[in-house]
Parts: sequence; C-alpha cells; structure tokens
Amino acid sequence: MKILVVDDSATMRRIIENNLKTSGIEDVVQAGNGVEALANMAGVDLVLTDWNMPVMDGLSLVKEIRGNPTFANVPIIMITTEGAKEEVIEALKEGVNDYIVKPFTKQVLLEKVVKVTQG
Amino acid sequence: MDVRYINPFINATVNTLQVMMGLTAEPKTPYTKDDLATQGDISGIIGFAEKNISGSVILSFPEQTAIKLYNSMTGENVVRISRDVEDSIGELTNIVAGGAKTVLAAEGLPFNISIPSVVVGKNHMINSKVNAPIIVIPFQLDRLRFVMEVTIKIDGE
Repeated sequence: MKILVVDDSATMRRIIENNLKTSGIEDVVQAGNGVEALANMAGVDLVLTDWNMPVMDGLSLVKEIRGNPTFANVPIIMITTEGAKEEVIEALKEGVNDYIVKPFTKQVLLEKVVKVTQG
Repeated sequence: MDVRYINPFINATVNTLQVMMGLTAEPKTPYTKDDLATQGDISGIIGFAEKNISGSVILSFPEQTAIKLYNSMTGENVVRISRDVEDSIGELTNIVAGGAKTVLAAEGLPFNISIPSVVVGKNHMINSKVNAPIIVIPFQLDRLRFVMEVTIKIDGE
C-alpha cells in the first residue's frame, strides 16, 4: 500500500511516516502542500492530508482529487487541528473518508488507515 | 481576565504533550507581565482574531526543552536547535492553538488562527499589538521548563 502524507510541517510528516513504517507500511511519500501532493498522486492508495497549508490547502486538494477521474476513488483522511463540528462536516461533504484531529495517537492513526482502506 | 478563556490553552498544552509525546507537563501558577522579553531560546507564535476577539499565544522554550520535545516527537537524537526543531515548535504551537480554538468555539467564541511563526534567539522580544495583559503560564516538564504567554482581548470585557 502506497500512502501520500501531505502536511506543511516536516515534523508532522515525519511523525506520521514513522508511525506508518513502524507498523509495516513502508511505501510512504511526502508532500508539503496540495500542489506538491497532486504531482505525486500516481499509484497512491491513500492520502493523509492536513487542512491548513500554504499554496494549496487540504480542502482544495480534496476537491481536486475528487474531481479527477483518475484519482477520484482514492480514500482520503484529513489530519488537522480544525476540530469544530462544522469543519468536520464541511470536510466530509467535500469527500473526505475520515477525519483525525491533532494531537492523535499512533493507535488512532492506524485504526483509521485500516478502516478506510479495508472497510 | 476570565480563566475560562485561558484554561483551554493550558489544557490543550497538557493534552498535546501527553498524547503526542507521552510527556506530563505540569502547569504552575499563572502571572501577568509587562515586558516584551521572552524567557526562552525559541518561541512559537500564533495570532488569532475574529470580529470581537483578538490575541496571540506564544510557547517559549529553553533550548534543552525544545530539543527534548523534538526528539520525543520524532524519535531522533538532535543536540541543538535546527530548522527541524524550529518546524516542530511551530507545529506544536499550531496544535495547541487549534485545540483551544475548538473548545472556545464550542463555548460561543469562534476565531481564526494564523499560520505559526517561530523566533529563535536568547531573550528575544515579541511585541503583541493587542492592548491586553500578557498572561504567563509556566510549565514544568520533569526537570525542564517552558512558558506559555496568552494575550486575549475580547470586546466589551
């Protein structure tokens, strides 16, 4: 399984990648914003994206992916500090499959990854 | 200053360090300050604003505390402040501000937060444009320490 991690914080990308790799998911690629993410979508099975990023934010990235016939069915989990109910609903409306509010544990991350890729 | 505006920032700090790093940060007695000098070597800063609220939150760390947090977050073993450590302090401040934002929004005080900035240097000065007291909350982290500075101005209070 190939997972694309999108976050403008290199630290957060590293934390997520470490959590995935220590759980046996080795094929992880990183992007610092939505534009970089779109350039790295080939062969991706799951996108984990932050919401607030420069250049192109996570919600815009979700819209781009869902509007592209090649990638429209790729599952997306949003991982963000935006924890208000209205924001979760907005992200789900745009096509996010699941939602994780920072801070999160490795267990929560892995449970969500399994759920959206195997559910 | 009503503590219900400050407590969400304290709780978000404790929760973030516990959940992401398994570290127990103990908040100490808050106090106010007038001078602009911070007490740390590196600070993460986030401003927030909405129609009737403005302010900022600063997390300010001595070098050794920042390094401990970075190493705890990433599993690495750096020994001095680097661009990566700066990034981690920005992200940590972002998560804390986001956590407080969620709680305060649920209590009818919504606001937007800025992208974090990070300042590095001994006794650096941070000048808030918000005309309100600076509330300083010291934290103890085992034998290390850090402080949070919160400035909030709410119209009508």
